[in-house]
Amino acid sequence: MKQLINRTPLSPASWSILFLLMFSASWVSAEPSPINGAEVFNNNCARCHNARSLDEFSLQEWAVIMPHMREKAHLTGKETDAVMAFITLVKKGETKSASAKEGAHVLNGEALFNKYSCQGCHSVNGKGGTVGPALDTTIADKGKTFFLQKLKNPQFNNPASPMPKMPLSDEEIEALADYLSTF
Amino acid sequence: MSIKYSAAMTIAASLSHVVMADEGDRGRFALGGYGDVKYETSEAEDTSAYSARFVPIFLFSLNEKMHVEAETEISINAEGETEVELEYADLHYFLTDTTTVTAGKFLIPFGQFGPNIHPSWINRSPWTPGIYGSHGSNQAMEALLPILSDVGVAVQQTIVLGGHQKVFIDLYSTNGPGVEADDHAEEPVEDEHQEEESDHAELPELAFEATSGDNNKDKAFGGRVAYAMLPGLELGASYYSASYDEEESLDFRAQGVDINLIGSHYLLRGEYIETQTDGREEEEGESEIHTFKRDGWYLQSTFQTGKLWPSLSGTELVLEYAETNQLAEASRWMVGVNYWLDARSVIKVAYDDTDLEEGEDDQRFAIQLSYGF
Repeated sequence: MKQLINRTPLSPASWSILFLLMFSASWVSAEPSPINGAEVFNNNCARCHNARSLDEFSLQEWAVIMPHMREKAHLTGKETDAVMAFITLVKKGETKSASAKEGAHVLNGEALFNKYSCQGCHSVNGKGGTVGPALDTTIADKGKTFFLQKLKNPQFNNPASPMPKMPLSDEEIEALADYLSTF
Repeated sequence: MSIKYSAAMTIAASLSHVVMADEGDRGRFALGGYGDVKYETSEAEDTSAYSARFVPIFLFSLNEKMHVEAETEISINAEGETEVELEYADLHYFLTDTTTVTAGKFLIPFGQFGPNIHPSWINRSPWTPGIYGSHGSNQAMEALLPILSDVGVAVQQTIVLGGHQKVFIDLYSTNGPGVEADDHAEEPVEDEHQEEESDHAELPELAFEATSGDNNKDKAFGGRVAYAMLPGLELGASYYSASYDEEESLDFRAQGVDINLIGSHYLLRGEYIETQTDGREEEEGESEIHTFKRDGWYLQSTFQTGKLWPSLSGTELVLEYAETNQLAEASRWMVGVNYWLDARSVIKVAYDDTDLEEGEDDQRFAIQLSYGF
């Protein structure tokens, strides 16, 4: 054994990688829990490229793309899972959501705003994401009709918009508009 | 952070966990990638040409711990032959929540451009930053670090500091560069006077193309440490070192720092690189090692006009400056206008002007359609 070690001395590179592996095994993550997937999406995609529309790929494709992006964007496993949960929420909508289990649509604008993590990409009162525009004055500035149309067809005014089409009914969009009118 | 915002994020996070993908949602394969078509004119070459590339990325999810990815670049060269180049082909093993081990041919984590920005639908310019080389086309500026990927192993560690702050650590060991074969040995010298006057001729030419072999037992070693304040700022420092000759007596080293600033309507990306290349000089029968030092940098700013003025939706202005100093001195200005057809397809119109200390200057004009898929 001693001879084997002598014959295969480790280079500085190998020692460094071994050290990092040992270090990582004992590392205690300081990240808070739970993690908001939309916020992770907002904070990381635009570091390198435009955020891609969630409508572009199927849920099965996203499940393969996210491990690829985990390495590229230095995401943690928990962050990757949170983004997948957000994508699943958007793609599957009411079919599996908590409200569907309760058998009723949520018509509370604030609850919908929170449920779909709007603040992950948009700011309100200066807090929130920057992928999309601030929502405080959207309805006051552009009108309720614009807002309703944007939710139904997110690319109608800007073909480069990465905003996904949320699985919202007309009533739920109205409720969201009413909630955002209060700011 | 306000209590209301914190509560909203927590509620959203909690609700999003309710809708988890089930077994049927687990994919095994996905096809992504990018491609581009470019029309380019060059004053130095006195040509104009159309070119096209198709760069598919194959992704396989073997299980929750293992992920395989491969990117191939398929293009047509000037002779009409189809060229296929393996940009990367590697396996990621997610060792822990924050640690990933990669093996295979992978993108070298040096700076920002190679590992993150090089796909044409991501790069705001139709050209590669001059200090990294042309990556498939010609350029007047001589690159400092013409390396994109190599074969070896890497470890990535993400440290979450909280408050949107992270530290990224990447370490890798690869085959590294070799000595460039002298293809011009038997070619006639067109201007002998110019050849004699050039100090730059003594700078050793290295072969950075990744291979599944090596000319020595020494492995290239490098890494990058970066601090990120998400979503707006990333600062990184990179290092690369390798012996490139058969005797392992001549080294090539590179150090770099990089910045990536993301604003609400602008992007600012820049890198500074220093290199040291050992070369052997024969003087009076004795062999001495001389180290050639070079450095250079680029700064690319993108002003997203479409985000400021809705009437200019989808447009952005790009301005880039690059220079290389000490041996093969050159500077380059680039100005461009981009129009985004959608979030992953862009038409770029750009002009650049390269000024060489020695050699023929160049002015280029390009229109490029790039698309991610």
